Amino acid sequence: MIEARGVSVTIGNKRIVSDIDFQVRPGEIATMVGPNGSGKTTFLKALSGELAHGGQVTVNGRVMGAMKPAELAAVRAVLPQATALAFPFTVREIVKLGLVGGRSGVKAAEAERLPERALARVDLAGFAGRLYQELSGGEQQRVQLARVLCQVWTPVLDGAPRYLFLDEPVSSLDIKHQLIIMGIAREFAEGGGGVVAILHDLNLTAMVSDRVFVMHRGRLAASGTPREVLRDDLMQSVFDCRLSVGVLPSADVPFVLPQTAAL
Amino acid sequence: MAEQTLAGRIGMGRNANEGDRSARARTVLLALGGFLALTVLFSLTSGASDASALGLVREWLFGSTVGDAALSARDRLIIYDIRLPRAVMGALVGAALAVSGAVMQGLFRNPLADPGLIGVSAGAGLGAVSMIVLGAGALAPVSALLGAFSLPMAAFVGGLVTTLVLYQVATRHGQTSVATMLLAGIALAALAMAVTGVLIFMADDRQLRDLTFWGLGSLAGATWQKIAAVGPVIVLALAAMPFLARGLNALALGEATAGHLGVPVQRLKYTAIVGVAAAVGAAVAVSGGIGFVGIVVPHLLRLMIGPDNRYLLPASALLGSALLLLADAVSRTIVAPAELPIGIVTALAGAPFFLWILLRKRGLLDL
Repeated sequence: MIEARGVSVTIGNKRIVSDIDFQVRPGEIATMVGPNGSGKTTFLKALSGELAHGGQVTVNGRVMGAMKPAELAAVRAVLPQATALAFPFTVREIVKLGLVGGRSGVKAAEAERLPERALARVDLAGFAGRLYQELSGGEQQRVQLARVLCQVWTPVLDGAPRYLFLDEPVSSLDIKHQLIIMGIAREFAEGGGGVVAILHDLNLTAMVSDRVFVMHRGRLAASGTPREVLRDDLMQSVFDCRLSVGVLPSADVPFVLPQTAAL
Repeated sequence: MAEQTLAGRIGMGRNANEGDRSARARTVLLALGGFLALTVLFSLTSGASDASALGLVREWLFGSTVGDAALSARDRLIIYDIRLPRAVMGALVGAALAVSGAVMQGLFRNPLADPGLIGVSAGAGLGAVSMIVLGAGALAPVSALLGAFSLPMAAFVGGLVTTLVLYQVATRHGQTSVATMLLAGIALAALAMAVTGVLIFMADDRQLRDLTFWGLGSLAGATWQKIAAVGPVIVLALAAMPFLARGLNALALGEATAGHLGVPVQRLKYTAIVGVAAAVGAAVAVSGGIGFVGIVVPHLLRLMIGPDNRYLLPASALLGSALLLLADAVSRTIVAPAELPIGIVTALAGAPFFLWILLRKRGLLDL
């Protein structure tokens, strides 16, 4: 389990994130939703060890601050919102960088084939020889996901669960690829790993989440199952607009419809 | 259907390593090794005296007793005490400058970073000039303590301070601004040159002669003693660089992502900065300001083998050495029997090349 207790982040004199309690358990997809600027990404950066923070984060029972970069890299991989690349690497070279930190959980002979397999997972088979910088935004996002998958190919390593952190993993994807990516996340969780995802699409959130954390103005406004959290009143006040939440009777999954004054 | 499957299979077989440029990189490395060997031989045998390549090779292969082709004592003196140290020094300096360029470009995540361009060489030059001018005065204790190492050490300190200041100024939250980096480099170079100017103003006639000769960039002063002083520094710095290669590759994705991949980013950055300052400092101390090697060589190689630093760094060392030896051969022969400073040769060839890079990348830079 990754657990955050009372995590706060201050940048300059500004407190961006205050006193967040958060858990992601092996086998679970935990999603974070909230308006732009509510502190989701900042919190994820604290959780991944990228930003200095108050409070405490433990990873599989160990205090994160005491772990070396390589130890942390062996148990969690991070997909950032955007990646600007400095040099003309091929897609295969980028994906292979996922193995820089060392152990993805497969044997050395298998590691050679991992880039292809990861690319096939994100529906980019045959793209290995292309130059990364010549791909579309959505393709680049999937290449980065393939790299992240290479890093933690097996959801469990030496008996310890591993974690995927995904910051808006589907933001520039068409609906087919959104579903493919969330399917990968689900499969990773079912394999015994944990997934933390920041999403903007509330319907996708309702569909894939085991647990939803709602951020508002740097604080945790609510957390719970999609049915507990995706309520008219809470969503309307957090997102400051008119929304209507219904429930798909067939699947017992909530759905959210935006409404304008004109309707 | 069967045809499709077959075609698919052929495609799969052919493309199994698609996007993997390491085989090509290894071939290029071998070819560059051969190229460097040829340029060394060429630079040992070209020049005002006509000691022949054939005679030299025969002597190496069969010993010095073989008939008329054997080298005369005069040829031997010219080759082993004048041309060989010069070739060794040229190879060391070329490798130091080219690899430093490649490492800085990886560190700053920008193909335009170059020790000469952004003031590191000027800083190292200031350190070296300080030692030449003040070595008998204010810095006498240092030169007494370090002996032959005092000049490369002073250049190292100058280069290190400049690089650290530059990095602090140009980098915010792990992102390096190219515009800030280039402008800060210009400011730092101007400052270093102004202080250098003050020191030159203070210099006496003998020091002035040293400085002028040194300032334009030249390998003419190469001796085995100088190689003994800077060679170990350059070799050590170069030997450390391959350990940075994988980290620098990850750094191409940004500092945060490199950290997520398990790279100890801070340690990587400081090792790279100290290594570059040491290599550039040592190179500048013995050969003065030789520009553009650090930008031209890695750029050419990226076109050939891609940006993977595991191959780019050793390839830069080989090509940097070879190109600098060629430039030196040009500088010795083009206005023979006089010599053109090698810094002028590399600038004449490198500056237009740099402009060409800018033209190709126009619109892609965040300037």
